[in-house]
Amino acid sequence: MTEKFDIHTLKNGMVLLGEPMEAVQSVAFDFMIPAGAACLPDGCCGAGSVIADWVFRGAGDRDSRQLSNALDGLGLVRGRSLSSSHLAVGAALEAGNLAPALDLHADIILRPHLKQDQFELARQLAVDEVLSLDDDPRQKVMLKLRERFYPSPLGRSTVGEIAELKALTPEMSRSIVKDGFNISQTIFSVAGKYNFDAICRQMEKLFKTGRREGIEPVTLGRKGGKYTHIDNDGAQVHIGLMTETVKPTDEDYYNARVAISVLSGGMSARLFTEVREKRGLCYAIGARYHGLKEAAGVICYAGTTPDKAQETLDCIIGEFNRLGDGISDEEIARAKVGLKSALILQSESSSSRAGAIGSDYYMLGRVRSLDEIKDRIEQTTVDSVLSFLRSNKFRDFTVVTIGPKQVLVQ
Amino acid sequence: MEFKSEKLQNGLVVIGEVNESAKSAAVGFFVKTGARDETKRINGVSHFLEHMLFKGTEKLSALEVNEAFDRTGAQFNAFTSEENTVYYAAVLPEYLLEVTQLWAELMRPALRDDDFTIEKNVIKEEIAMYKDSPSFDAMERCRTLHFDGHPCGNSVLGSEESIDGLTAGQMRDYFTSRYAPNNMVLACAGNFDWDRFRCLAAESCGSWQSRTVSRALEDCGGSRKKERIEKANLVREHVCLMSAGVSAQDPRRFAAALLGTIIGDDVGSRFFWELVDKALAETATIKLDAMDGTGAFCSYIQCSSENVAKVLDTVGGIFDGLARDGITKEELRAAKNKVLSALVIKNELPMGRLVDLGFNWIYLEQHRTIEQDVSEIKAVTVDQVHSLLEQFSLSDFTQMRLGPAGDS
Repeated sequence: MTEKFDIHTLKNGMVLLGEPMEAVQSVAFDFMIPAGAACLPDGCCGAGSVIADWVFRGAGDRDSRQLSNALDGLGLVRGRSLSSSHLAVGAALEAGNLAPALDLHADIILRPHLKQDQFELARQLAVDEVLSLDDDPRQKVMLKLRERFYPSPLGRSTVGEIAELKALTPEMSRSIVKDGFNISQTIFSVAGKYNFDAICRQMEKLFKTGRREGIEPVTLGRKGGKYTHIDNDGAQVHIGLMTETVKPTDEDYYNARVAISVLSGGMSARLFTEVREKRGLCYAIGARYHGLKEAAGVICYAGTTPDKAQETLDCIIGEFNRLGDGISDEEIARAKVGLKSALILQSESSSSRAGAIGSDYYMLGRVRSLDEIKDRIEQTTVDSVLSFLRSNKFRDFTVVTIGPKQVLVQ
Repeated sequence: MEFKSEKLQNGLVVIGEVNESAKSAAVGFFVKTGARDETKRINGVSHFLEHMLFKGTEKLSALEVNEAFDRTGAQFNAFTSEENTVYYAAVLPEYLLEVTQLWAELMRPALRDDDFTIEKNVIKEEIAMYKDSPSFDAMERCRTLHFDGHPCGNSVLGSEESIDGLTAGQMRDYFTSRYAPNNMVLACAGNFDWDRFRCLAAESCGSWQSRTVSRALEDCGGSRKKERIEKANLVREHVCLMSAGVSAQDPRRFAAALLGTIIGDDVGSRFFWELVDKALAETATIKLDAMDGTGAFCSYIQCSSENVAKVLDTVGGIFDGLARDGITKEELRAAKNKVLSALVIKNELPMGRLVDLGFNWIYLEQHRTIEQDVSEIKAVTVDQVHSLLEQFSLSDFTQMRLGPAGDS
């Protein structure tokens, strides 16, 4: 496989990344704006959710409806997401419409109207979204888990807190847009069918802003409590569990990824086999790697009826602890082929690739080729994974449960 | 892209669409069976059976099945609906035949008693999980209320009681009656060798016995009943509306899908501007659910209990406005752009292509290229949408609401 990446830095410092894909007619792009939940000033939890809506309610010389019609007219499949580090806006679309789509996004990022009446509506929707989490315990448990696992403010909720949303004013939000929408620190990524020279020329014209420094790295505070239970008279106890592991920049990153894949990569992995197949404790059970630039963990979810909750949690923690005791060659081989295969399958989607190269650049300062990732996965062995697990034992589990019954965390 | 097809002597249809520029291939068995093919006594058996197929054959244990899949790095799973059960895998080309062979073996499962007993717990956990998902719960209850005795209203998961009462023997009988090769399609899309795929299918599936399989096909206009269920732990109001729509075989399905986008796409639609943009509801969507011989428009709205009366008034106003004044050319154009983009992007992945390939055969017994679908969508006129609005009254809906206690 021959892979080529495009990279260019605009005069203002914004980095443009590209990955051409021959087999597709689509193109996908992402603007990763450094205004994620952890970058917000204290007391503004949820402002990102309001702003991500507000900037689409009129920009440049278009009001809200005209802007929406213009985006729909291009057939954009819109995407926007909030993470700890970034507010990302982007889209996937037919390749021929890329240039006008970028024009519209320059308006959204540089010239949003941010009108007061529209602010109230965006905030109301953000408040409603927080309230509706109570009816979605599975999503809520994971949100609460990240909040408690990561040192503050890394795990701050991207959805928000009601009290802080209610106290938020249009002025505070405008100032967050002014400070947080730092174009010099924004990463733009594109994948699919495109002409990179044309994109660079267009982006240089669209984003003629001054160069700005990035904000200081956030000061890390305390982690939340080890066990939190939220009472809810639902049918299941929703269990979220997280424990520390190495960051994406760590030498042992691939050993960690393979180890987690042995634990929960496929249906023959440890958790699925022990918790669901042998004991019938759960329908939904799984763990995956969750990495930020500053910290990383293994994040696990299981949903089970109240009488089985304790046994489920004990069984899961038992499997985490047992992993370092021994892993077979077969298990490692399956974990490796699973990771490599997932990588290639995702590489067929322009949206996935645009997201992946942007995230690589943010995390590592460069884009990894698929071959590099495959080689690094291939280099792991039973010994390297076990030696990693023995020197990085899973301990200090952070647990959150939502449901009618509490559990005991050892 | 090159389309290939073959029908084995026992009636199994084998189809493929070869795309040599793809990096992967996707394969699936599409079985024309689901909740609508069940009686009340065995409700949930199609879905339970889907789980049981992963439990292995006379030669393979459940763990061996999972290991065999995972050795290929396949992304594999299955899903059951009211009328289909689909087993699929996305895989690198070098593992395609191995995975196809494995699926073919699993289509003749052991259905062991002890596996059945353990898996019953998992099914009951899945039922409990969906009880904690009010959007799903509201939709399923609305479907039952709307179809009101018509088999399309059967629950896919079944109830705790129906699952408790189900026996392994009943499941085996159901399997024999529904998993006949003439009631199944084996499909593959992406980068693969058709001749080798076809030969493997013939060798692995050629000995399966065909038998007469039927399904009661009856259209259903819907009950138009209205019901609200209270649940003490809920915070929001979950509203589901269903009204009659076109079937999967109906040529008007393209116009109906576009109408759904115009009314209830998650951005830029009538629901969006009147409900979400104005912060009356945080979610408001409508989709066409085109089924075998019948169909329905299904809306799902989530809002506060205080807003629900206003929301329902607004929805009524939107439906009445459409019946009275119709849609605009601009709305249709924007809907076409959105639907076409999503269609093309989805079909760039072999897994996305497999789904359309398989279902086109299940419902229409024909191969349709992406270009054919694209030109059908482009050709839909405002008049066609208007005539659809005359024939299917969106205002005549069944309504199911789930919400907190103490509100109405």
